[in-house]
Amino acid sequence: MRSFEDDPTLSELLPGDRQQQLLQLLQVLSGRPLVLSETPLTGAQAIEFNLETLGWLHCPEQPRVQQAAARLLEFVLFYVGKYRLAANLHHDSTEASFAELQRKHAALQESEARYKALAEQLQARVQEQVQVIEKTQQQLYETARLRAIGQLAAGVAHEINNPIGFIASNLRVAGDYLGELEQKLPADQGTAFLLEDFRALLSESASGTRRIETIVNDLKTFSNIDQADFVPCDLNGLLATTCHLLQTEGQALDIQLRPGTLPRLSGYPAKLSQAFYNVLDNSAKSLGEQGCILVSTRQLEDGTPEVVIEDNGCGISETDLPRVFDPFFTTRPVGSGTGLGLTVARDILIAHRGEVLLNSRQGVGTCVRLRFPRR
Amino acid sequence: MADYLPHERKLTLKVVYYGPALSGKTTNLMQLHTLLRPQRKGELMVLETRDDRTLFFDVLPIGLRGEHGLDLRLKLYTVPGQVQHDSTRKAVLSRADGVIFVADSQPPQQDNNANAFDNLADNLQKLGMDIEQLPIVVQFNKRDVPGAVDEAELQRRWRQTPWAPLCMAAAINGEGVVESFRLLLKRLYPVLDREFHLAADEGISEDDFVRRLSALDADHA
Repeated sequence: MRSFEDDPTLSELLPGDRQQQLLQLLQVLSGRPLVLSETPLTGAQAIEFNLETLGWLHCPEQPRVQQAAARLLEFVLFYVGKYRLAANLHHDSTEASFAELQRKHAALQESEARYKALAEQLQARVQEQVQVIEKTQQQLYETARLRAIGQLAAGVAHEINNPIGFIASNLRVAGDYLGELEQKLPADQGTAFLLEDFRALLSESASGTRRIETIVNDLKTFSNIDQADFVPCDLNGLLATTCHLLQTEGQALDIQLRPGTLPRLSGYPAKLSQAFYNVLDNSAKSLGEQGCILVSTRQLEDGTPEVVIEDNGCGISETDLPRVFDPFFTTRPVGSGTGLGLTVARDILIAHRGEVLLNSRQGVGTCVRLRFPRR
Repeated sequence: MADYLPHERKLTLKVVYYGPALSGKTTNLMQLHTLLRPQRKGELMVLETRDDRTLFFDVLPIGLRGEHGLDLRLKLYTVPGQVQHDSTRKAVLSRADGVIFVADSQPPQQDNNANAFDNLADNLQKLGMDIEQLPIVVQFNKRDVPGAVDEAELQRRWRQTPWAPLCMAAAINGEGVVESFRLLLKRLYPVLDREFHLAADEGISEDDFVRRLSALDADHA
């Protein structure tokens, strides 16, 4: 690229037609023919601009005319050159300033983009933090709620335990007394009818008392789980025992057990059995005719031990699904369920740093996954 | 940077008079044009001024011919000193082979001197030139003005820099102008000799170089 200060040529300073115009004027003034050339001519006068020879002016046999014409030409070129230098410099510095501006502009755009990206990142981080805070708040609230319920449950259980104990005991004694009374009463039909009804009353009361005891036990489990008693547990063994217990308790149940390989797990065997029992009991109660329960255990790909309890029972409606873990929530008739089964199961799993996942479709069945922490 | 055209045997050099506004750069050039009788001398071209201030630049071409036909030319430029003409200053400074920094000796102008010198360093850096490698002469002009900063004080301030000792000048009276120019030629010669072997190939010694480019009327007398 040419710089403003590069030496110009004659035709750069004065285009051909201008040269001819000037030459003609000089010829009219001098009355002599003149030749201007950019290549050397014999006997010609050099035309200089800033020490640079730009061309040669020749006027045959008229050295004085040639000399004067050459100086006049140089005089003109000097002023043309001055203008040309200033214009070129102006052009150069304008171009440089523009290039500088463009560079600054590009740099500004880049930094703007960087700040924009940064702002977006910050926004995302703020949102993330807000979510963490909200989740923590929710957990705190849940914990506080559970603790409150737990304290209430523990209090109630303690207060009920004593009276229910002597009620149960008294009922047994009352039954014995009934036998003795029968001996001493006349054996007429009216008396026999009365005594039979009395026995039925006592028996119903005893079974009611047992149910109250069960609820009180559930409440105690729900309110009090302590890791201090943890020992290595065989989940498959615990499951087998629990299934067996359930089968011997009620009607004939179709339970298929498919144990997989599981590592021993640190836990509280009684509580774990309780959790399995609660889930299995729910399944059993949901079954209709030809209902069956499938119990399987396995390790997930990342090593997480999992117990899956599936049934093809009545399932849970979509409206009830979000509330199944809430304490005292039940769909069964009043008196037949405590509403604590899944709550207790979940709290046992949480105490073992595990989790309970529940999938269900009404009319199709329910699948409960109990996951335990990896070693 | 020096511009050498081998087929024309032409070596063109550039020396730039830099400095704050109204410090006397153009006056330096005018005095050189009047005083110097170098082997070859062109016309002093003062491009455009307003209120005695340079708007574009001034240029004075001088030259010499080496014994072996080298056509050596030195173009002396001034830059506009006013702050707002920085892009022009940078364009003129580009590819310079040497710089004469013309500072103002009047006490109130010392800040302007410092700013202009910073601007020189800044522009050299932007142009990719190394201020430590470039031949530079610092001239304190206007010694004739009453109350000028004491010379000993100025020399002391600059003693630790690569540009000591300073040149003192009263360009308006032609004093110190040629001396500053000769000092620059002396500092410029070794750089050129290294690249173009002036002594070995062209038969131009340092003495020839300085004498023939800065000859005075008196030298011929």
